[in-house]
Amino acid sequence: MKDTVTMKMALPRIPNIELVAIEGLERLAHHLGISDEKIGEAKILVTEAVINALEHTGKRDSTVRVEFTMTTKEIIIFVRDYGKGFEPTSVEEPDIQAKMGATRKRGWGLKLMKSMSDDFHIQSNKNGTTITITKRLT
Amino acid sequence: MNQEFSLTSETRNNCLIIATSGYLNNVGGETIAKEFSKHFEVGTKEVVINLAQSKVVNSIGMSFLIDIIDQLNNANGKLIFTNVDPAVDKMLSIMGIFNFAGKENSVEDALKVFSGQK
Repeated sequence: MKDTVTMKMALPRIPNIELVAIEGLERLAHHLGISDEKIGEAKILVTEAVINALEHTGKRDSTVRVEFTMTTKEIIIFVRDYGKGFEPTSVEEPDIQAKMGATRKRGWGLKLMKSMSDDFHIQSNKNGTTITITKRLT
Repeated sequence: MNQEFSLTSETRNNCLIIATSGYLNNVGGETIAKEFSKHFEVGTKEVVINLAQSKVVNSIGMSFLIDIIDQLNNANGKLIFTNVDPAVDKMLSIMGIFNFAGKENSVEDALKVFSGQK
């Protein structure tokens, strides 16, 4: 069994394509002997990263690039879109109290990715956005 | 891996019980919201959402459930989640949802809460 396994994919913008990424994640995890229980939070991170990217991806190249690098100790999740980018610091931190009574209930993706990961980096410019997440699996 | 979303619903003692199956995304959230509205419009204010068969959820789907919780709380009603997967539990905790909705291990436990037995 290899100590490190990687998977790369280019996901087209079609409904529920994030499930393909999750299935790939589960297969890598099983290969390394990692339980479903430990991979559960990683699945949420992948889901949020991919749907965020699909929402922001541009028309020139509407695919989203996803890469996993997994060991028995951690997974690094890399997600890139080719949209027009955004200023991550300008995204308001969602608050459940404020959401109650508000019309817009969405906007939780970045908060969840930051909170559920062990390391989170986002880079965004006019050529797109890359998100790199590290999640410990031990 | 069949993640197609579906739900079943039933009412017991004026409590709406929705059991979901599959990926709870925007489509799943909207489907739950429609089912909820049918019952809410005729006075149902106690709702249980059983997530036993939904191990994968996303925040857009959950935003529909926040809207349901908001409507219920404004009507002095309540929503209780049951059978929540540990990772989903952490997600909902980070979002602060359990400050406004309940959580129980099983549907039966949730019904006991609504009937005052717990």
